[in-house]
Amino acid sequence: MTGVARLVYWEAIILLSGFFGLIAWRLFTGEISLNGLLYGDRRDRRKPSGYSAFFSPGRTQLLMVTILTAGYYLLQVIHDPTTFPNIPVAWVVALGGSQAIYLGGKAQSILLGIRDLIDRRTP
Amino acid sequence: MKNIEFWASLLGAIIVAFIIAIFVPGEPDKKVVYAIEYGGLIVTFLFGFMILAGIASNKIDISRILEEKGASGTTTGGASMSRFQLLIFTFVIALSLFLIVVNTGDFPKKIPPEILTLLGISATTYAVSKGIQAGSQSNGRSNNGAAPPNPDANPPPAQR
Repeated sequence: MTGVARLVYWEAIILLSGFFGLIAWRLFTGEISLNGLLYGDRRDRRKPSGYSAFFSPGRTQLLMVTILTAGYYLLQVIHDPTTFPNIPVAWVVALGGSQAIYLGGKAQSILLGIRDLIDRRTP
Repeated sequence: MKNIEFWASLLGAIIVAFIIAIFVPGEPDKKVVYAIEYGGLIVTFLFGFMILAGIASNKIDISRILEEKGASGTTTGGASMSRFQLLIFTFVIALSLFLIVVNTGDFPKKIPPEILTLLGISATTYAVSKGIQAGSQSNGRSNNGAAPPNPDANPPPAQR
């Protein structure tokens, strides 16, 4: 390894591990808050703010698919760290579908929510 | 001259490049290449390190990196799933690239389209999510002036 390559190697190790370590540490200590990660807002006329929080299945499935896809990809790279691994089309489709479900659910709950149901009930 | 670290980094890189250009033995054309390479690497590292030190000392506040505004736009709505998954994918791809460069000693000749698709899907979700959020806030403002009506304060005739 030449001098320049060695310098690049150590620079990347220090900077990448520094950024990764800092963010991971703050996530674990709660300085970067993950509160409400699985809760979404939905339009609700009964609340003074106009919105209420609810447990979101869309967010939960997105979290699971994200962790599975990222873990699969990282394992492939660790197994053969010479090239970028090929991701099966099924994984990409699953991830895209999962994100679409999340976005659809978010749009539905924020823009419509339970307002329509209440409007239909009230005379 | 506000940011002393910035100027110190730049000056340090120039001094290193100058030392290589003057004192290191070798052909002049190679010495110029070495001076630029080392100078560039050092200044890049020091800029990155300045940001790292700023984050570590809380000069750069990243405690709200995953937060999003609430749908009403007035309160914080907690952590954002779209930001979190973008963060995960960015780190995974960066780590993969680093492992490949370290093992092969060379930058990959071709970036596979799957990686761009992966990051593209993730970043698009974040952008669309922001759009929905902004849409709900402007919708609320244009419909009600401030916030949607509170039926508890003014119940419909059937409940009176």
